[in-house]
Amino acid sequence: MLYSFIGYYSLIFGLFISLPIFFFSIKNFKTDAVLDPKIITFSFIQLFLVIISFLGLVFSFVYSDFSNETVFNNSHTTKPLFYKISGTWGNHEGSLLLWLVVLTLFIFLFLIKSKGLLKKYRILTLLFQQIIIIGFFIFLIKSSNPFNYIFPIPNEGLGLNPILQDPALAIHPPILYLGYVGSSIIFSSVLAATTLDYITKEWAIHIKSWILISWVFLTLGILLGSIWAYYELGWGGFWFWDPVENVSLMPWLALTTLLHSIIILEKKSILSSWVIILSIATFTLSMCGTFLVRSGILNSVHTFANDPERGLFILIFLFILIFISLFIFFIYHKTDNKVSNSFFLLSKETSILVNNWFMMYFLSVILIGTVYPIFLEVISSQKISVGPPFYHKLIIPFLIPFLIFMAIGPQLKWIKGGLEGKLNLLIFFIISLLISFFIVKNFKDNFLINTILIGSAFYLFSITIRDFLLKKLKNIHQNVAHFGFSLLILSILLNNIFSSELITNLKVGERFKNDKFEIVFNDLKKFEQKNYVSFKGNFLIIHNQKKDELKPELRVYNQPNIVTSEADIKTNLFSDKFITMNTVKNEEYFNIRYQVKPFMIWIWVSVLLISLGGILSLNKKKYEK
Amino acid sequence: MYGRKVKLRFFFIVAIILSVILSVFLVLKSLEENVVYFKSPSDIKSLGKFGNEKIRIGGMVKQDSIKIKSNQVNFIITDLKSEINVTYSGVVPNLFSEGKGVVAEGYLKDKIFFEATKILAKHDENYMPPEVKAALENK
Amino acid sequence: MRNRIIYSLIVIFFLFVFVILYKGLSNSNLYTPKANIKSIPEFSSEIFLKKNTVNSSDIFNKKNYYLLNIWASWCLPCRDEHPLLINLSKNQKIEIIGLNYKDNLNNANKFINELGNPYSTILLDRDGTKAIEWGAFGVPESFLIYDNKIVKRYIGPLNLKLIDEIKNYIK
Repeated sequence: MLYSFIGYYSLIFGLFISLPIFFFSIKNFKTDAVLDPKIITFSFIQLFLVIISFLGLVFSFVYSDFSNETVFNNSHTTKPLFYKISGTWGNHEGSLLLWLVVLTLFIFLFLIKSKGLLKKYRILTLLFQQIIIIGFFIFLIKSSNPFNYIFPIPNEGLGLNPILQDPALAIHPPILYLGYVGSSIIFSSVLAATTLDYITKEWAIHIKSWILISWVFLTLGILLGSIWAYYELGWGGFWFWDPVENVSLMPWLALTTLLHSIIILEKKSILSSWVIILSIATFTLSMCGTFLVRSGILNSVHTFANDPERGLFILIFLFILIFISLFIFFIYHKTDNKVSNSFFLLSKETSILVNNWFMMYFLSVILIGTVYPIFLEVISSQKISVGPPFYHKLIIPFLIPFLIFMAIGPQLKWIKGGLEGKLNLLIFFIISLLISFFIVKNFKDNFLINTILIGSAFYLFSITIRDFLLKKLKNIHQNVAHFGFSLLILSILLNNIFSSELITNLKVGERFKNDKFEIVFNDLKKFEQKNYVSFKGNFLIIHNQKKDELKPELRVYNQPNIVTSEADIKTNLFSDKFITMNTVKNEEYFNIRYQVKPFMIWIWVSVLLISLGGILSLNKKKYEK
Repeated sequence: MYGRKVKLRFFFIVAIILSVILSVFLVLKSLEENVVYFKSPSDIKSLGKFGNEKIRIGGMVKQDSIKIKSNQVNFIITDLKSEINVTYSGVVPNLFSEGKGVVAEGYLKDKIFFEATKILAKHDENYMPPEVKAALENK
Repeated sequence: MRNRIIYSLIVIFFLFVFVILYKGLSNSNLYTPKANIKSIPEFSSEIFLKKNTVNSSDIFNKKNYYLLNIWASWCLPCRDEHPLLINLSKNQKIEIIGLNYKDNLNNANKFINELGNPYSTILLDRDGTKAIEWGAFGVPESFLIYDNKIVKRYIGPLNLKLIDEIKNYIK
């Protein structure tokens, strides 16, 4: 009661703090003086109020205050404390409040960290960011107030969807939002810089660290989402090309492209329009993702029940931002005319640019696959869905040149110059192809494309290792990230080709045998837990004379009354053994799925390596200064 | 003669246009091939002929219709107007139960018989796939 | 000049996208409880222990107060509020309608035999869809109805204080 009260009023006051920020910023903008410290103070007050409001919600959850509608809808007294807290952002209202926390936090950090830069630029960035912040404030207070009051006060809440009660998913939203919202700073900053014609080397160096930060968080956020899908959903996959997953991948692709283009801008002061468009696109895609997920406009396997009316607000807000940025881009942006005179076919920037285009292509494929069903339904009221084959068919073949460019690109010099050690690179390529030939040899389907694909991934893999041995710490960040990417592609491919599975329905005590595995359902035990009842199955799997015992679990949650299945996974360096069981209509048959998935752990490791590359690059900035 | 710069530029533009055309063509073609249409049991009843393409059927799982055997699950999808029998062997999602919305993906054998290759899972009890909702409302 | 055409094309493109997404939104999507239903939803339902079905318009037809109570035998708070409902049912000015929610019929029957029957009619909601149409949050939940309008909803079990409030309304 008290906490919701405090939370609600600090939210309202937080919105009003935007007024003095606007007032002092505009006043300060016109004078020549240095940045008015009052602006920073007010930004801090706003941040403080928003954090108080957020804590208000957290405490309402911790103390299970069911007079608060959000708490009532998403919590329950028997829930463990950890999930009470994570329940705060596990729902629409709370997650938007978290957005707002990160938005205000980032602009405050920006103001502190950008001391050496042009004053007008700092103020203008703040103003653009304030527009976004105010939009979110109004959205929260008007249509998704997290502090709605229910009377009479219910004794018990409805509970958090059990499928969300998972450690990876508990921290997934905050991390992902740091990435999404980080891109808002890039957006505001690029608009400010365009208006002031300040797209310079200095600006590029400064904005690069913001790009890196959001990129690292976005990468980790996507990773956590995948891990959750793998461990909790029990489908044995980690990426389903589902719209909700796609919307997090799209900003990531835009951001990755931006990260590479900003390097060119920093080194050569070209490509400024490209950088502006990408910065705008990244944030727009993040917002678009929020819109698509929150409005329920998409038919996704990950969608949770939600309110379409909220979608309208986000949609309008999104397009206001798009039109503001288009307007600024058209009016203020002057193309740099010195561009084209120094573009050579064989240079680092050309290879980066080529890969930029590839990434844009991947981005458009995903965008089309995601929104095409919406368009078709509106235009012809046909209901369709676009499945994984679409994405595989359009993306996989283009990964081959992409990987090769990724390997060769870093070997090239800036501006102009030949390729060193051509022979060396060629030999590496042939060796990689041969190795992959032997790996895929016994596999019949798509033999050719698999060989070439694994060959190119292996090529990138070996080249990055070679560079690591030869050049030691020079460009280590880029090397680690590229190495991670090659490892990612390799492990996904091998995982795809060599995984095998068995699906059957079994009763307790029965066994099932096919040409590869034998599976025995030994027994089923019941355990009472705090907020669920658990049924643990005991399975014996015999494969190549090796015996494994696996214990998948079924959880029957008390509130809401939902059954979830927890996979049991045995992980080692080479493969994961994965088993799930499921009941159907409480009958004695259990639906069993057993899978052997090679190199699963390397998929996670490689994504960690990719983000490690980003972290290294951030730190490199620091000690070079 | 044009200068080297102009030539290079010309080459660039042509390359870009060509690749854009190529990718648009590729995208459209594979959209056409890989799109899965959504039908309700009533749509299927009124279907003139049916091909071999993959479709999705949505509706509610009929009460008391789930039958489970060692290698497959049988049930009936209904939109409260027409019904269709489904057989499925594979993993059943947690929220699959009688009286709940369901979307099954697979191939039609004939007008009342459907072989599912996938049953789509949902994470939320209150969630009804939009297609299913539409199918149920048009009854 | 050329630039201007490109600019307006881009703007038109985005406007087009906006319109499509907007239309897509109004193709409403989800089956969630409507939070604020003012007039009662129309539905038809089986009657408990009888084979016939009734329409909502036939139940709430009189100029009279009704209390629609959503209950189930598996719901413990329902057990607590049951004596209060029995007490309230003695009042002539109000008719209590039960909506049996996702229940086993035998258990429901036992529940009524054991604790008494305050309801003039018991409707059946086997799959929970009717409760959704009412916008109910869960069980127990009660709706005070007059003239086909929902006067007040009570989420969670009723208590003495709330019963007094209801009595105040119907006076």
